[in-house]
Amino acid sequence: MGKKKELSPVQERYQELQKKHELKKPILKNCLRAFLVGGLICTVGQAITYFYIYYFNFTEQTAGNPTVATLIFISMLLTGFGVYDHIGQYGGAGSAVPVTGFGNSVISAAIEHRTEGFVLGVGGNMFKLAGTVLLFGVFSAFVVALVRTLLSIWGVL
Amino acid sequence: MLKGKQSWVFGNRPVIEASATAVGPFEANGQLAADFDILHEDLWLGKDSYEKAHTLLLEEAVTTAIKKSGSTSDEMQFLLAGDLINQITPSSFAARTLGIPYFGLFGACSTSMEGLALGSFIINNDGAKKLVTGASSHNAAVEKQFRYPTEYGGQKPPTSQWTVTGAGAAVLSNSKNKTGKLVTTSATIGKVIDLGLADPFNMGGAMSPAAADTIIAHFKDLELDPCYYDLIVTGDLGRVGQETTYELLRKYGIPLERERFQDCGLLIYSDDQPVMSGGSGAGCSATVLYGHLLKQMQKGVFKKILVVATGALLSPLSFQQKETIPCIAHAVSIEISD
Amino acid sequence: MRRLKVLIGAFLGTMVSISLLGCQDRTSDESRISMVKPVNPEPIHINEKSRKEHDLAATVKKDIQSMPQIYDVAVIKGEKETLVVYKVKHLHRMMMKQIEADINKKLEKNYPKESFIVSSDFKIFIEAIELKDKMKDPGYPQDKAEKQLQKIIELKKEMT
Repeated sequence: MGKKKELSPVQERYQELQKKHELKKPILKNCLRAFLVGGLICTVGQAITYFYIYYFNFTEQTAGNPTVATLIFISMLLTGFGVYDHIGQYGGAGSAVPVTGFGNSVISAAIEHRTEGFVLGVGGNMFKLAGTVLLFGVFSAFVVALVRTLLSIWGVL
Repeated sequence: MLKGKQSWVFGNRPVIEASATAVGPFEANGQLAADFDILHEDLWLGKDSYEKAHTLLLEEAVTTAIKKSGSTSDEMQFLLAGDLINQITPSSFAARTLGIPYFGLFGACSTSMEGLALGSFIINNDGAKKLVTGASSHNAAVEKQFRYPTEYGGQKPPTSQWTVTGAGAAVLSNSKNKTGKLVTTSATIGKVIDLGLADPFNMGGAMSPAAADTIIAHFKDLELDPCYYDLIVTGDLGRVGQETTYELLRKYGIPLERERFQDCGLLIYSDDQPVMSGGSGAGCSATVLYGHLLKQMQKGVFKKILVVATGALLSPLSFQQKETIPCIAHAVSIEISD
Repeated sequence: MRRLKVLIGAFLGTMVSISLLGCQDRTSDESRISMVKPVNPEPIHINEKSRKEHDLAATVKKDIQSMPQIYDVAVIKGEKETLVVYKVKHLHRMMMKQIEADINKKLEKNYPKESFIVSSDFKIFIEAIELKDKMKDPGYPQDKAEKQLQKIIELKKEMT
């Protein structure tokens, strides 16, 4: 919802009445489910990390990258099979916040716009949800790096 | 004939000759599956895009309705149809295939009753002998335009609704032989009402004042008693909107019996289907009315019903620009002629 | 819903079989267990003849082990460097950086002449145990062991 505009008395009275009947979001239940689903996804991630540490030449430091790639790949498969949106409906933030949510947002948009062709459809729309994350992720990383660099030039850090 | 401020009374009583519906897989698992004519197992309907599938739904509903009425599409003077997709392409494309002179309508989810009201008006005033009216929506095509991709794992709040995949169409005629047939007797055209709700996941709440306003206007214009109808059915208010409308009506002095006030969005799906607050979409009222309710009337369960289809007139752009949701409702009364 | 279950089953099945297949080329049981359990490995030194080096490795291990936040330590004394790998108790993992600094300070103070490579990485720990197991075999040449140690040290220096 946007910021509250000035409401006329009629609107105000109606919205009060409507509120009574509006089905409330079960916040506590959603939080619990998000905790469980998010935790489960992270446990799988941890298992994959150990897998890479143990069977390949990755240390705890370097195993992060292949783990992220694997998780995104798995979530892309699950999206393609039509499973991930059910997990998302159940888990809410628990399945959106981990990196799997990113894979899901990319692939779901790509599948959705497949019918408009590869260039204008898939290419043009693939990042319509994830694009925001990428833009602001890169931008905020840039700002943080800039601040850090300046601080170290001035000798604060 | 105009009566009161915003209502028509159809003195010549246009006859609903036949009606037909085509629905998708999710609706085929719902409560009313037995009442639908064509059930599809595949959301794609064998087409290579959801928009084409959407077009096919309307084509099927219209051709089946025409066939059931015992006439051919050449005898149809007009087609009045609409849907939710940008520039109502599915309806226009279906009209291209059907080759019937065409009015494209847009009233969001109220299109079905907008079409029925206008169609009845045309027939009533000798503008046509026979015409066909319909409305359709396709879940995946509508979600693609208005919300997130279908496979996106976003959590929908309990107030959200599920867009119906389906099309309903009805053939109207000026036939003189009316005995035992379904006729439209009056219609009330609603005005656009916006009480400042902006949440696109709570359309029911936004639309209910429009529904209440149209129902109140209908009873006022026609000077009818609230008990006149056996059933007042709203289009797609869902759980939230229907409760709210019911309370609004009582507040404005139209006490209805609870079981005589129903909602198409709540009728179409069974309880175990994950549709949150109920069904929605232009196809919702069209399929439930033209599939289920008219059959019930023919069986004699109801004699007089008032159908109030509600529409939320928003676009993806308007809600991203933080505009509130303007809503509309149109009512048409259908009776069994003696 | 049924299709979903089949899919998840198939997926888990593949994962399990991959890990089972992978297990076969591991010789040492100890290194496998070391991921989940403390194994308390003996301190080792590459130069087998040197008594001094043996003692040094043993005291370093004892020193580090005495820290309360740490539950498992492996020490390998190489030609130049000494590799110290440790595991931090779960509740103290928030303080990893602090602990590493403490260990470095402690080692520097107690053994100013030695150069240490300090790590808390599971991978390094596993590799250290592997090397230790290999060196149990008297036929394992000393220069090969040293080479392996250098490899481990390189792994530690590798960053993301």
